[in-house]
Amino acid sequence: VPCISSGLPKPTNITFLSINMKNILQWNPPEGLHGAEITYTVQYFIYGQKKWLNKSECRNISRTYCDLSVETSDYEHQYYAKVKAIWGMNCSKWAETGRFYPFLETQIGPPEVALTTDEKSISIVLTAPEKWKKNPEESSISMQQIYSNLKYNVSIYNTKSNRMWSQCVTNHTLVLSWLEPDTVYCVLVESLVPGPPRLARPSEKQCVSTLKDQTSELKVK
Amino acid sequence: LRRCLISIDMHRIEESFRGIKKAIQAKDTMQNVTILSPSESLHSIKPLDACCMTKNLLAFYVDRVFKDHQELDPQLLRKISSIANSFLYMQKTLQQCHEQRLCHCRQEATNATRIIHDNYDQLEVRSAAIKSLGELDIFLAWIDKNHQGTSDA
Repeated sequence: VPCISSGLPKPTNITFLSINMKNILQWNPPEGLHGAEITYTVQYFIYGQKKWLNKSECRNISRTYCDLSVETSDYEHQYYAKVKAIWGMNCSKWAETGRFYPFLETQIGPPEVALTTDEKSISIVLTAPEKWKKNPEESSISMQQIYSNLKYNVSIYNTKSNRMWSQCVTNHTLVLSWLEPDTVYCVLVESLVPGPPRLARPSEKQCVSTLKDQTSELKVK
Repeated sequence: LRRCLISIDMHRIEESFRGIKKAIQAKDTMQNVTILSPSESLHSIKPLDACCMTKNLLAFYVDRVFKDHQELDPQLLRKISSIANSFLYMQKTLQQCHEQRLCHCRQEATNATRIIHDNYDQLEVRSAAIKSLGELDIFLAWIDKNHQGTSDA
């Protein structure tokens, strides 16, 4: 039964949260209706196409987000989405996003980081994040394949001297040399793509210790 | 485009566009029409045709879009002018490249360019200009993609 478009306030702050092309539409409940049993219905639009399309899994839902990754998976196209609030027989007007361009707006997640240590060096191996995929059986696409100019900002922190520095690298292996033996170093890595600024999500901080200096050990004996 | 290397301050152009994106795209109420439609034109262009396509699209924006668009908001106007000046500079650079016969135009690029002009002609001129300005991010992303390695100089 269609609802009656009444004075019900619209949902607010409707935006896409996009990470590695996983595109989630999210919004805030209408203001001033705390405690009311509000449900929501979502539609989306492919820029240049003809009409708004329903997202059946996001019809009359009570949550305030909707996964539109499948519908917006062609990242070189642009999209709109809209949500309306429903309370009983009444519904709000649509609240609409701006034009969403996944290729330029998706956040690039952090790479996988593998560390191996030596006495005075740490080897870092980075694996580019993967593009979101509909189901696990699908073959993986690396974000590097989409953004061939993908770079990494590697931040290193010496926990003994409290000294921190960072390096921007394009390849996937990096050796940190001339380090202090028997010292804990912590490493954080962010993915970067030249072009419009994007929110960055650093990797989990990983800490490893360089090995004890074997030469000084021998002298002591 | 890489053979015909042009140094462009893409960041400045992208920043200017970010300043107008929301306002300009909001003025474009015809969501069911696109001018630089990804599938038909730009994304079918091969690297060999990238230089010619860039030259054609710069001319499209400089000779039609920026001329047809009338902007009353001084802030938007300043950013649009900044983009236009950057495009004029890029045109000059590409012109030298063209003279050295490094920017050859094949039929594919000519066809794709004609589709864009046809799309533009089907709309009322002010609406067409607004829509084309709102689609600058498609063109800039395409330049970035076809121009990596020098655009972040």
